[in-house]
Amino acid sequence: MPLPSHQSHANSTTQTTYAASQRVRPETGDLTEPRQQQGAEPSEADLIQRAKLGDAEAFQALYDKHKRRVYSLCLRMTANTAEAEDLAQEAFLQLYRKIATFRGESAFSTWLHRLSVNVVLMHLRKKSLPSVSLEEMTQGGEEESPKKDFGADDVALTGSIDRMQLQRAVESLPPGYRMIFVLHDIEGYEHNEIAKIAGCSIGNSKSQLHKARMKLRDLLKMNRAEKAGKSRVG
Amino acid sequence: MTCVELHQSLAEQEDVGSWEQRTHLRECPACSTLVRELNLIVAAAGQLQEADEPSPRVWNSIEAALRQEGLIRPQRPFVSSFGARWGAARWLVPAAAMLLLALGIYMRRESQADHAAQQALVTSMGNQVASQSDLNDDELMQEVAENEPAMKTQYAENLRQVNESIRDAQGLVNESPNDADARRSLMDAYHQKSMLFEMAMDRPLP
Repeated sequence: MPLPSHQSHANSTTQTTYAASQRVRPETGDLTEPRQQQGAEPSEADLIQRAKLGDAEAFQALYDKHKRRVYSLCLRMTANTAEAEDLAQEAFLQLYRKIATFRGESAFSTWLHRLSVNVVLMHLRKKSLPSVSLEEMTQGGEEESPKKDFGADDVALTGSIDRMQLQRAVESLPPGYRMIFVLHDIEGYEHNEIAKIAGCSIGNSKSQLHKARMKLRDLLKMNRAEKAGKSRVG
Repeated sequence: MTCVELHQSLAEQEDVGSWEQRTHLRECPACSTLVRELNLIVAAAGQLQEADEPSPRVWNSIEAALRQEGLIRPQRPFVSSFGARWGAARWLVPAAAMLLLALGIYMRRESQADHAAQQALVTSMGNQVASQSDLNDDELMQEVAENEPAMKTQYAENLRQVNESIRDAQGLVNESPNDADARRSLMDAYHQKSMLFEMAMDRPLP
């Protein structure tokens, strides 16, 4: 599976281009893996080779290179720091245990990323949703969501959205919405990939994503309204 | 297209580029705002991809687990274990590397000089390093024998490959003594072998 990329997020601000339709998905270029620079730094291929031989420095260098991406994925999916750290640890351990079998057919980061997603999903399923479908995982979100008319003339989302605000809003999403949003809008997976990973239909994935975005919009607007209210009082 | 239809279409398709959708968006400020705000959210989502850093605890736990499982080579005093196992031969690898370096510098400076003399030098140096290295292959495998079976197999495979490379490159040099690329390949192959030997040696961890 090619490594998803969301490089075009920043460009998708025109009204007629909803969502990430311009998303760049390099099949081999893999934008998360910068081309090897000429210089003292060992290439990723060298590091992998050395890690296969048990070189601790190589293990750590690979970890340093990918830790943010893996940990952020785990944190977004679980919305829990301790769980995210445990899962990131588990993902890297699984990676290192299997590294001798890595033959380089796919990009290393693709391999690691897929493995990390699997670790998180396994955890989520084991944790509290042993036989709960994606539909059930998203239930509750709609009831809790304040009903609004489309584009109701309240606090408008203008300018850029603060990262911390968005992060908190994502953490507030129901697990099912959160998973689809993280995989699609943050990690750049396509709906057909998400359908395979999450075991749902493509239509379901699209529908859940839309609901997740609508819910996020409401949360962000409420947050801005609260802030605006506080500043007026202050 | 009504607002409800547009809303439904947003859930079914990502691209709102159809004529009906565009017409509706031009005429309906509320839906236009909705789409703009959803786009803002999508654009901002990318910021979260590598936003957070795990605590150092994570790597410490990983490292401890790797050591426990024997995936990282055990840390041992560098000089004592290496010196005890390799004895007088411990200087062969760096010596070979120095010889190769000197050879490289010499060949670069004297590229226009007598090719026959160069060839003789390349052959003799190559043979000397090769014979030294070959003597140590078994010792290399002894050195890694304590490691995980998968790691030992990996070393054996790497050693086989690098010896093959040396053999091939040596053959090319023998066939075309004046071929600079062939000589470079031979030096590269020896360099790889010396790296492999270095890898097999114990190295203090940071």
